[in-house]
Amino acid sequence: MLGVEGLAGPLGRAALLVGLIGAFFGLIAAVMGTRNEDEKVLRLVPRFATLSCVSAIAAFAAMEWAMITRDFSLAYIQKVGSKSTPALYNFTAVWSALEGSILLWLLVLTCLTSGIVFKYRTRITDPMVGWAVATMFFVGIFFFILTLGPANPFAVGAPGVLDGPGPNPLLQNHILVVFHPPILYLGYVGMTVPFAFAIGALITGRVGEGWLVETRRWALFSWGFLTLGIILGSWWSYEVLGWSGVWAWDPVENASFIPWLTGTAYIHSVLVQERRGMLRVWNLSLLVSTFSLTILGTFLTRSGVLNSVHAFSESSIGPYLLSFFAIIVVVSVALIGWRGQKLHSPGTIDSPLSREGAFLANNVVFSVFAFVVLLGTVFPLIIEAFQNRQLVVGEPFFDKLAVPAGLTLLFLMCVAPVLPWRKASGELLADRLFWPAWGGIGALAFSVGLGATGFAPLLTFALGGFAGGAALRQLVLATRRQGLRGFVGRANGGMVVHIGVILIAVALAASNSYTHSQELLLKQGVVATFDGHTFELMGFKEESDARSTVVAAMVRVDGGKTYTPAITKYKSIGTNIGTPSVKSSFVKDIYLTIEPPVKVSSKTAKIKVFIKPMVMWLWIGGGLMGVGTVLSAFPGRRRKPTDATSALVPSETSA
Amino acid sequence: MKYLKTWPVWMLMGLIVVALLTVGTTRDTGPLTQSDRIDSITKHIACPTCDGESVFVSRASAAEAIRNQVARDVSAGTMTDDEIIGSIANTFNGKVLLVPRATGVDSLVWILPIAVLVCAVAGLWAAFRRWRRDNSGEASSDDVALVEKLLAEDPTDEDNV
Repeated sequence: MLGVEGLAGPLGRAALLVGLIGAFFGLIAAVMGTRNEDEKVLRLVPRFATLSCVSAIAAFAAMEWAMITRDFSLAYIQKVGSKSTPALYNFTAVWSALEGSILLWLLVLTCLTSGIVFKYRTRITDPMVGWAVATMFFVGIFFFILTLGPANPFAVGAPGVLDGPGPNPLLQNHILVVFHPPILYLGYVGMTVPFAFAIGALITGRVGEGWLVETRRWALFSWGFLTLGIILGSWWSYEVLGWSGVWAWDPVENASFIPWLTGTAYIHSVLVQERRGMLRVWNLSLLVSTFSLTILGTFLTRSGVLNSVHAFSESSIGPYLLSFFAIIVVVSVALIGWRGQKLHSPGTIDSPLSREGAFLANNVVFSVFAFVVLLGTVFPLIIEAFQNRQLVVGEPFFDKLAVPAGLTLLFLMCVAPVLPWRKASGELLADRLFWPAWGGIGALAFSVGLGATGFAPLLTFALGGFAGGAALRQLVLATRRQGLRGFVGRANGGMVVHIGVILIAVALAASNSYTHSQELLLKQGVVATFDGHTFELMGFKEESDARSTVVAAMVRVDGGKTYTPAITKYKSIGTNIGTPSVKSSFVKDIYLTIEPPVKVSSKTAKIKVFIKPMVMWLWIGGGLMGVGTVLSAFPGRRRKPTDATSALVPSETSA
Repeated sequence: MKYLKTWPVWMLMGLIVVALLTVGTTRDTGPLTQSDRIDSITKHIACPTCDGESVFVSRASAAEAIRNQVARDVSAGTMTDDEIIGSIANTFNGKVLLVPRATGVDSLVWILPIAVLVCAVAGLWAAFRRWRRDNSGEASSDDVALVEKLLAEDPTDEDNV
């Protein structure tokens, strides 16, 4: 008979099986009901959605229960569980490896499917909703199959195991592991919703603008979470990894960044379709790309074909993900081809010097940027496949190509917000760009005055000031007309997002270009100086428990507060992990790490000091992007049907 | 206010930008610390035993060994940054370079982005040309006659103007 301890495995497996059955019948009901216009059958869809969602919740709860009770009968708990892991990190250990992360994906996906079905419960007989829900069930079935097959978190482990190593040490020393993966997954998985509606629109042939309106907020919601997830990941990297950076162009980071780039292109170009009825094929392609790239990224980082600091170990999941990716691409392309005639939009873009022209340019840059990151990520694979030799494509390559792309996007952020729809004249641009341009000159003069050097960072500051001026101009005009409501709506909320992006760009340029570092051999009682700051070793702090031994150097910075860079030795794994300590301010961070070996008895410590300007503005910019996304999701001022879409612009030929 | 926004003022703004950029990019940036140089060099070298991390990022012992070698080379002061990177790369048969070479098949990683960008810009240019052509339709004689007829009916009607 099974004791309570061994119950999580069978329960979890049963829940996953029931969930799979629910999703399968949900798919059948959605397809058959929609095809046969059978309302009775369609009314069953919400029940199947609820069944698969509740099953996924039960499976996730069973896994948490297994983790909390340290049920070492399961192979997954043997891999990432440990009796000595603190409760919080034991809870988050569920998504610290492949099988658990796929389970988390499934949980989010089934909840979203249920949410969609609930939201459209009164319109379930609408064929477009029916096909969209069927698509979501189809994706759900795939992930249920993964969790029951190659990524089964409830697989029975070897007998007699009484303890495990616990999660990766890097995943058990910072609170952000609680938030970063779930938020990132909300973004990843959320992209399924607009993709599903795009498929629904293609199947039904209702490829006008209706489905865009249905999914606008879902796309924005997913993009916002993906953005927040990436920012939190960067923050975690900065606070935990000890190399003082926020982004290493690691394959897993790239896997999240590529769909973010195509998603960002989409949320811009979709405005052109909503306003002008154009770019239908392009927008569908961007949505399909964004969703399929999340699957491709998962394949690249979870199958073991690429190496990465936080890629999970090799597994047999690769062929499944690759096949699913191929199915998505082939079916989507075939559907787009099938609806080719209907997708043809009659409108034209009058001038490159227009809002829609700027959006098109922005889309070109985002798409090429996404291609560059994808190419750099998979290029080692290509070389290995064709030439059987190993190659690493790293940070310097990506930096070299990302800088011009970033600067071009900043330039577009200067001009696009002031451009009217359809066509702008030179006079209009000169008028609207005048003060924002002075903002750019002011920012450049200020940074040169402070001693800033280097072409790329200076241009970033100048364009940052210019783009910031353009965004503020839009917000000032909007708030003058509408008061606080001027911050709300797509255009105005979008400008808040722009300001967040500008802050991030400027902070990245400053912190990457002007970081100084020095290794200091600190002796207790002797003050050392670097870059105008004083550092004094006050002593050491040692802590030990069943899990780890921590040695921290207590370093007083500038005669004030004491900071404690540390090295933690995880006993069960035998790994040493450094933990930085950071003095943050709006102007600069002082980032301290302790270099091994640490000899407490010698009363000396080798401390590496990084002086990093403006890092805090990265997090402030990220926060602003989140706020702006929320503001964008609310409806702005309603446009009267009789309002002109843009101000009248005198034609160049008229005198 | 309007005279401010004329082209001479824009020219002046352009000159100010050029002057500021020239000052900012040509002045002496001051000496780098040894640690700065080591960081800059190790960012270009991959840790040979790690999963795609640079020596700068990695805390592995192999990365530590390379970092120490770079520190010794920098302290000796006889080699430039590129020479130090080249010497480390030679030790590992070029497998630890994080920047692919611009020769042979490796050059594709540099060429393809440029090719894609050129194609995308050309596609955009072609699309705008097509749109401009589609937009440049002349009014037919029927259209002109219709407008003249409407205007003749009531020349004061603003909707007809």
